[in-house]
Amino acid sequence: MAKNTSVKTIKERARETKVIREADVVVIGGGPGGIGAAVSAARNGVDVVLIERYGYLGGMGTGGLVTIIPLLTDYFGKQQIAGITKEWIDRLIARDAVDFPKKEHWGSLDKDIVRYYFQRSFFMTRLDRVSYAAIIDAEISKVILNEMVKEAGIKVYCHAWGTEPIMEGNHCKGVIIESKSGRQAILGKIVIDSTGDGDTFPYAGIGFEDDIPGNYRISALALCFWVDGVDLKKATDFRKNNPKEAMEMGRKAMESGAFGGYFASNLPNQDSIVWFHNRYANKSQVDVEELTRVEFEGREKMIKTYDFFKKNMPGFEKSFIVLSAPQLGTRSSRRLIGEYFLTVKDMADNQPFTDTIAVFPDLDRGQASLDHPNMYIPYRALLPKEVDNMFVACRAFSSDKDVQEYFNLIPHCIAFGEAAGTASALALKAGVGIKNVDIKALQKQLAKQGVPLPDVAKKVSYKYAGPALVSAPFSQH
Amino acid sequence: MPIKPAVKTINEPARKTRVCREVDVVVVGGGPGGISSAISAARNGAKTVLIERYGHLGGMATGGLINIFPNLSDASGKQHIFGITQEIIDRMAARGGASYPKKADWGTTDPKIVDYYLNANLGGFYIRPDHNRDMKKAVLYTAVIDPEILKDELNDMVLGAGAELFLHSWGTQPIMDGDTVKGVFFESKSGRQGILGKVVIDSTGDGDIFVGAGAEFDSALDNKRRTAWLAFTTWVTNVDIKQYEDFKASQPDKLKELNAELLKSGGYPHFMKGILENQSGVLWYHSFQPQPESSDAMDVEQLTSIDVRGRKRALITYEFMRKHVPGFEKSFIMQTAPQLGTQGGRRVIGEYILSEKDMVSDEVFEDTVAVLANNDNGDISAKHPALCIPYRCLVPKKVEGLLVACRAFSSTDKINQYFNIIPPCLCYGQAAGTAAALAVKGGIPVRKVDYKALRKNLVKQGVNLPKS
Repeated sequence: MAKNTSVKTIKERARETKVIREADVVVIGGGPGGIGAAVSAARNGVDVVLIERYGYLGGMGTGGLVTIIPLLTDYFGKQQIAGITKEWIDRLIARDAVDFPKKEHWGSLDKDIVRYYFQRSFFMTRLDRVSYAAIIDAEISKVILNEMVKEAGIKVYCHAWGTEPIMEGNHCKGVIIESKSGRQAILGKIVIDSTGDGDTFPYAGIGFEDDIPGNYRISALALCFWVDGVDLKKATDFRKNNPKEAMEMGRKAMESGAFGGYFASNLPNQDSIVWFHNRYANKSQVDVEELTRVEFEGREKMIKTYDFFKKNMPGFEKSFIVLSAPQLGTRSSRRLIGEYFLTVKDMADNQPFTDTIAVFPDLDRGQASLDHPNMYIPYRALLPKEVDNMFVACRAFSSDKDVQEYFNLIPHCIAFGEAAGTASALALKAGVGIKNVDIKALQKQLAKQGVPLPDVAKKVSYKYAGPALVSAPFSQH
Repeated sequence: MPIKPAVKTINEPARKTRVCREVDVVVVGGGPGGISSAISAARNGAKTVLIERYGHLGGMATGGLINIFPNLSDASGKQHIFGITQEIIDRMAARGGASYPKKADWGTTDPKIVDYYLNANLGGFYIRPDHNRDMKKAVLYTAVIDPEILKDELNDMVLGAGAELFLHSWGTQPIMDGDTVKGVFFESKSGRQGILGKVVIDSTGDGDIFVGAGAEFDSALDNKRRTAWLAFTTWVTNVDIKQYEDFKASQPDKLKELNAELLKSGGYPHFMKGILENQSGVLWYHSFQPQPESSDAMDVEQLTSIDVRGRKRALITYEFMRKHVPGFEKSFIMQTAPQLGTQGGRRVIGEYILSEKDMVSDEVFEDTVAVLANNDNGDISAKHPALCIPYRCLVPKKVEGLLVACRAFSSTDKINQYFNIIPPCLCYGQAAGTAAALAVKGGIPVRKVDYKALRKNLVKQGVNLPKS
């Protein structure tokens, strides 16, 4: 590839850009954060516009083929993430398009039950216990999310890329969108950045960090893909009856440049299909040249994997790649330095913040998680310092790399969105700035929407008294 | 609360935008037109950049799930389209990623063979009635490809040619100097940037670049045409085809009744067996979305509502079939096309406007750069099985430094519908990319490219051209 990097600039003339909408709240990005934000703002009675780059909603949960909403119960088995996440799952249940452990098994330490779920899905056990994780149908989810935003009365722009905030000093007046209709503007009283990458930060002068060590999960990109036409029973029987050969085959696959393993779909009636999840090292997930390079690398490796399995693995004889993710699996990039900056210290503190707006089960850090069952998220972690009317409701929330590593997944982002959207509506109704929202009223409203929240007044001290940990943590640095 | 449409504007101040590349040829859009533009420009020695909005190449052929290269031959079986189209099919066949009728069968009307292909994957595309042979069904040369393998193969071809790619990059506006295009602005996760080029090729499908360049264009579409509609394509998998076909054969009336009921409830009963032969059990739903009034594939509000409606319709269809039709009990929606199926839109006003009369003139233009089979025009097709495309259809009348190589080529609404699909776009791209490289080499405007030299070069690349 010819490298021809130039550093010059070109002058663009001033221009008049057409304003196509004026709304109360403008949400950029229709991933989990944006959905949570838009739906909860609209349900609380304000005008909402939601801008989405692709033709469907759901972000990584649909277009990224990361069809998993994990970590919903703490290790006691208590559901801590509910609200709009629960609603999404409930609507999937009604359509027979979701799979998760039975409620009576959540938190169970029973070895047989844990083994059963472990074999069923890697996501369904944590810390020697059964963990509530939902495996979802991507296509049905797209329809359900459309229904949710439609019912809430949100004006959606699909196939529209929200590229720049329209700034006036420390105030964001709206957003520029690019689409087949050309460059246009949408104005709003409150703007919510749910782009996943904090795309507005550089333009709005919002402070952020973006360092990620190479051994962190969040440093890697993914290009997930699905292989259909698999005789899963045949493959599973082969692995069960020939464990040594199966292991050897996985090793050989990796040696040949392929991926070694796959996940079963687990959804009702979908046993002809398996899911390949993966990690690609990169320098940055917001550098368009890196994104392009990883698309190529991922697609090459996908074909190698497919060729290997088709040739060698019983059950894959008639398989074919049915889909590679339309969206590259981005895991982390820019992280806000907001009004409160969550750090590794907060992952050892069991006292909830007075402005807690979400509780996240802490399950991936082994003993450290046993000592700290839940992570509390303050409202301030969604607020940029430099702008008076913007929220960050996505994985770009205010956090250091360690907090980000564990708490930037789909259900977390929905929770950020639900808090930001609800707060937007409360602020507009009360005629106050978003930084002066009545926190107690916000918490009360969130609780009414089914969001589990702690008693922030209660002093908490916690010491783990359960059995010693046997299984290895999900990830370690 | 109702949202009020606004009519005001905001002022964006002047700014400096980073230029990240300076090259010979910038191609905007990685669909069929853009791919072959980039490949042929790069193979002819031009430093070339290709900008693509999604993470994969192929446009409608991959992300739109329109995995068909139809009409490569006329109804008599004579192949007209070669060049990069044939190269892609050869490469795909070598990887088990293509299926098409055997060469010996092209043009045959033997009912047994015709039936065989009608019953094959996406079978309807292999067959056309031949007006010269009492409307008997004839086998065409049409190829069906595996979109996932195609994505990888196109990456290889573009990079192998030496072009550079920017994926996840939306080329939005031309960089202008008077009437001359000097490059392109694009949006991506890296922010707004510019790429400068001596020639820009608009392969956006919708002429997104030529609008900003001030080129004249026509966007009128007759609402009854295919090109005025959008399509929402869906794959449903895990279907027991045999069981379904047994049901269809034994209870045709019951099936008719069910289909009527499905239509009434807002679903879409038409499908074909999808992808390749070994991928049975996958069905292809190409759900047209006719518009009540006029449709506009460039209006973001219409695109949004069509996407929402198409998705709902796919779900209604799937749930109905699963519940009521034998063979569908364990089916599920495998995927919906990541790209909405746009079929027509703006058409540039070029140096030559291709029109209906060109279908009957048999004119061999001195600047013919492609020959296309003309299979869908009844008696006209019978008498005039092929059509020549002049280079001037790719050259906008007013703007300099710009070529149009996609379905937005210079043509009337009526003729555009027959010659705006994947293989023609690959032909336009091959001509435009080659011409762009020749213009850069010769230091001349694209409008002034020597037709003889261009045609000679294209023939050398394996493009089928008549002697003028």
